[in-house]
Formats: sequence, structure tokens, C-alpha cells
Amino acid sequence: MTRVLEVSQVHKYFGGVRAVQGVSLAVQEGNVIGLIGPNGSGKSTLLNLIAGVMKPTKGRISLDGQRIDGWPAHRIVEQGIAKTHQIPKPFLAMTCRENVAVAAMFGSNKQKDQSEALETAGRVLTLVGLEGKADSISSNLTVQERKRLEFARVLGTGARILLLDEIFAGLSPEELRDAIGMFTQVQKEVGFGALVVEHVMRAVLTVSGHVVVIEEGTKIADGSPREVVENPAVIEAYLGAEAVHAPT
Amino acid sequence: MNLRSILSVGPTLWGIGIFLVILGGSAPWIPGFLLTLVTGLLIWATLAYSLNLITGLVGYVSFGHVVFMAFGGYALAFGVGALNLHPVVGVALGAAVGLALALGIGLVTLRFRGVYFAIATLVIAVAALYIVLDIEELGDGKGIILNPAVEPLSVFYTILVTLAIEVGVTYAITHGRIGYGIRSIKGDEDAANTLGINAARIKLFVYALSGLFAGAAGGVYAWNVSGAFPYSSFSLTFSLQMLAMIVIGGMGTLLGPLIGTVAVYLPSQVFLTIPLLSGLQFTVIGLVVIIIALFVPGGIVGTLRKYIPEFRGMLE
Ligand SMILES: Nc1ncnc2c1ncn2[C@@H]1O[C@H](COP(=O)(O)OP(=O)(O)OP(=O)(O)O)[C@@H](O)[C@H]1O
Ligand SMILES: [Mg+2]
Repeated sequence: MTRVLEVSQVHKYFGGVRAVQGVSLAVQEGNVIGLIGPNGSGKSTLLNLIAGVMKPTKGRISLDGQRIDGWPAHRIVEQGIAKTHQIPKPFLAMTCRENVAVAAMFGSNKQKDQSEALETAGRVLTLVGLEGKADSISSNLTVQERKRLEFARVLGTGARILLLDEIFAGLSPEELRDAIGMFTQVQKEVGFGALVVEHVMRAVLTVSGHVVVIEEGTKIADGSPREVVENPAVIEAYLGAEAVHAPT
Repeated sequence: MNLRSILSVGPTLWGIGIFLVILGGSAPWIPGFLLTLVTGLLIWATLAYSLNLITGLVGYVSFGHVVFMAFGGYALAFGVGALNLHPVVGVALGAAVGLALALGIGLVTLRFRGVYFAIATLVIAVAALYIVLDIEELGDGKGIILNPAVEPLSVFYTILVTLAIEVGVTYAITHGRIGYGIRSIKGDEDAANTLGINAARIKLFVYALSGLFAGAAGGVYAWNVSGAFPYSSFSLTFSLQMLAMIVIGGMGTLLGPLIGTVAVYLPSQVFLTIPLLSGLQFTVIGLVVIIIALFVPGGIVGTLRKYIPEFRGMLE
């Protein structure tokens, strides 16, 4: 059965700050949805709401029709939804293999057997191209490698819907090409669904079949990558009002 | 557990096990004054291991651990004094009280992180003393005096067995799947939660174990000194001494608390016999802890593992 995550009319207020205001979207297993928007538009907050890191002020989040909003984070993972952290949070005292094995042991698949979990971890690290670092202590990783480890950990959970927060940020053009290639390959192989938050347009437009744009917590556009980049409201949000009318 | 996995527990657990067995076997021939010293050492080792569970393994620094020790002591004193229980049952009662208290206190305080948790435990430790001072059944502020322990060997064996169980429990929860959960929480609790770890439950479980063993050790302590007395039982220097032991020995390791206990307890007993120095005991301990925390963060065991590669596979 393909699993479906549905977010409808979700709001999150931090005191007076209305970080998310009535956003709705859906992610189906197997499909990659891009989520873009300017800095501070509420992208990470939306992922945190879905992942159970915070509770929505209003609205409804459901997985296969069952409401999951307000559930604690560890139960959301059990249900098959896992999120990376915009700023990587590896377990610094552990090796990469152990980092991913934790995800395999406690995530959606709950592999109780330690040696099996460590094997899973090895396979996942190979998928993301970190096999050479499997037995390095994760505190020795570069920022880029830490982002890959974040991705490896959510894969390790066995979750079917992944929430990926800027895993392509800060890469050089060649690194970006490699990373996109790796991602596309892994997505095909594993078949997960994903909500991909990204500033790097090239990445988000290449990997997603559908893109949602939010600005100041509100959805302003929704469509294929092509439709979205040609949408005047999106261009305005990104480049300011003049850009829409400027000659090209 | 099959025979093979029992044999493969590693040199550190074997070493501690053999040490405790030899100690137990030779106890009847150990002269009285030395037995008293060793019993004290084992009581403190049990306390150090107890703090090591929550502070060393999970990373939650507790300044209030003396609470479990003190209430464990009062539980024994009340059980033996008022209910006529056998002291060993009194120790079990102390363990039960420690466990129950840790569940109650942990439910509230483990929501706080870092220094806020430390402060919360400190506040509870201070408040607990004033609560006990007002309870009539617990001696109305004067404490409970028991008949002196007649059989030093029963005290000794009780704490020896308690410590052995505690070391075994420490080993078990650091090696299973739950060990990964505990290390993850210590590493980054938010990341742990988002990978499916029920951090709140694991923390409470470890804290409860920690309270249980501190309560048992407190019971044996009260049995050993024949009573429980508010100002000495709730002394925060006890908390600090436990912290000093695990910091010096090596936080979160299997051997560290034992080494740390020897390193702190034996010198402090020497200090106490020299009138001029006895007041300086905690100043010296405090200085050593600061120096270790600043310059040798892994403590003795951590440092040995770091600089002597041969030890890395052996020492836990
Ligand atoms: N825990 C919080 N408490 C208070 N305000 C918050 C909190 N988290 C986010 N905000 C605010 O909510 C708004 C949205 O932040 P969010 O991090 O979701 O944006 P973002 O789209 O992910 O931005 P970026 O692209 O820079 O990562 C911002 O104004 C931010 O300051
Ligand atoms: Mg963000």
C-alpha cells in the first residue's frame, strides 16, 4: 500500500510570530515534493510540525487517513516519517555506522538485533557514498559529510516518507551534481516519498516532480517545477516586485 | 544468556568480578578495622556507580543524588527500628524507596536539560532535608538511632552483592540495544527523539535504577553507622563526593567509578585521621575535580584509553 502524508490548514504561532499560516500539501510514497520559500518563510517549522518536534497551533496532519499531529517525535518515526536536521546533529561520539545503526534499531523498522542493524547501516552508508567513512567517528566529518550522514540516518530508519531540510546546501557545483545524482539513484532504489526543503533551485527543480512555494507561512504557489518558476508571485517573492516586470 | 556470551563479557567486567569474588572470599579473615574500611569503600562505590548511571551514561548531571541515599537510610532505620525488620530487608526497603522517589522526581525534573536539571535536583535535595526535619515518625529532626550492627560481615556481604548486581546492570544496559539509545540521548537528545528513541522513557528508566541503587547503598550506610540523622544524611558533600568519584575515575565507563572511589575514598580516610587536615578534605577533592574536569576530561579510565592503545580494547 502506498502511504500518503496529508497536511491540511496547518498553523504554527510562536507568540506573535505566525511562522506557518494555513498550509496544506500532500506527499505520497514514491513522489518527491519540493518545498521552497525565502528565508524565514516557515519551511523548517512545517517539517518540525510534521515530524512531531513541535505541535501545530491549528490544523490537521494525517498519515493514511490517521491523525498524527501532536504525537511525540519518536512515534512519528515509528509510523514511517523521518526528518533530517537543517543543522546536522550527528551523535559525535559514535562512528557513522553506529549513527545509522541507531536509526535502524529505533526507527520505523525497529531492528532489534544489533548486528543486523549494523549491517543495514553499512548498506545505507554505501548508498549515500559514505562507505569510506563508516568506521570514522562522526565528529571527524566535514559539514557536507554530516549532511550525508543525516540523510543516511533517515534512510536507516526505514521510513517511507522523508522530510529533508536543506541536505544540498553549501555544495560546490560538482559536489551538487554528485549529490543530486546520488539522491535520484537512492530514491529510485528505495522508492521513498520525500518533502525536500531547499534553497538551491537547481537541486529542488531537478529532484522534485511537484513544488510547493511558501512565503511568510502561506502557500503562494503549487505546481510542476516549470510552472512554479514561471509563476509571477514566486518570482516576486524571490526577487522583489521589480523583477516581475523587468525585461528579460 | 548462554555460556558463550557470559564468557565474552570482556576483561573489564571479568576483572571487577574477580576482584569482588576475591574480596568476598577473603572477608572472614580480614581484620576488623580493614573490613570497616573496605565496607565503606564498597558503599561509596555503589553510590558512585549509581550516579554514573544517570550522569555518566545519560549525561544528566545530578547534584541531588544524596536524596536517594538519605531516604534509603531513613527507610532502613525506620524499617529496622520501628517495624523490626531484618536489616537486609531494610536495605531492600531502602532500594524500593530510592526507586519510587527517582520515578517521582524524575517524572518532573528530567524534562529539564543541562544546568536546569542539575539545579532542580539540588533544590530538591535541600528541600528534602527540611521535609524530613518535620516528620515525627522519622525522629522529628533528631534522627533515628539503631542498636549497633552486630555482624560487620553481614553488612559487608550485603553491600558486596548490591555492588556486584549494580556493575552487572551497568554492563547490561550499556551493551544492549538500549545502550545505543542511552548513548544517543547523551549525544543529542533531539536527534535521538527524531530517530525513534523514546528518550523520556529511557531517561526515567535509568534514573529509576540509579535511585534504586543509591537507596540500597544509603540503607547499608545507615545500617553500618547504626542510624539515620538528618543533617549528616542530607549533607550535600555526599553528592559532591559521588560526583568527584565518577569525574576522577571516568564518567560513563564501567571501571571508572570503582577506580574513582578508591582514588577519593582512601585518601579522604587518611585525611580524616589527621586533625589538621580533616577540615581540608573537601577543598582538596574540589580542587582535584576542577583540575581533572579541565585538563583530563575522560578521568583516569578515559585517559588510559586515550594514550595507551592496548587498553582501548580492554578497558571499558
Ligand atoms: N522555536 C521558535 N521560536 C520562535 N520563533 C521561531 C522558532 N522557530 C522558528 N521561528 C520563527 O519562525 C519563522 C520561520 O522560521 P523557519 O525556521 O521555519 O524558516 P525557514 O523557512 O526554514 O528559513 P530558512 O530558509 O532560513 O531555514 C521565522 O520568523 C523564525 O524566526
Ligand atoms: Mg529552515
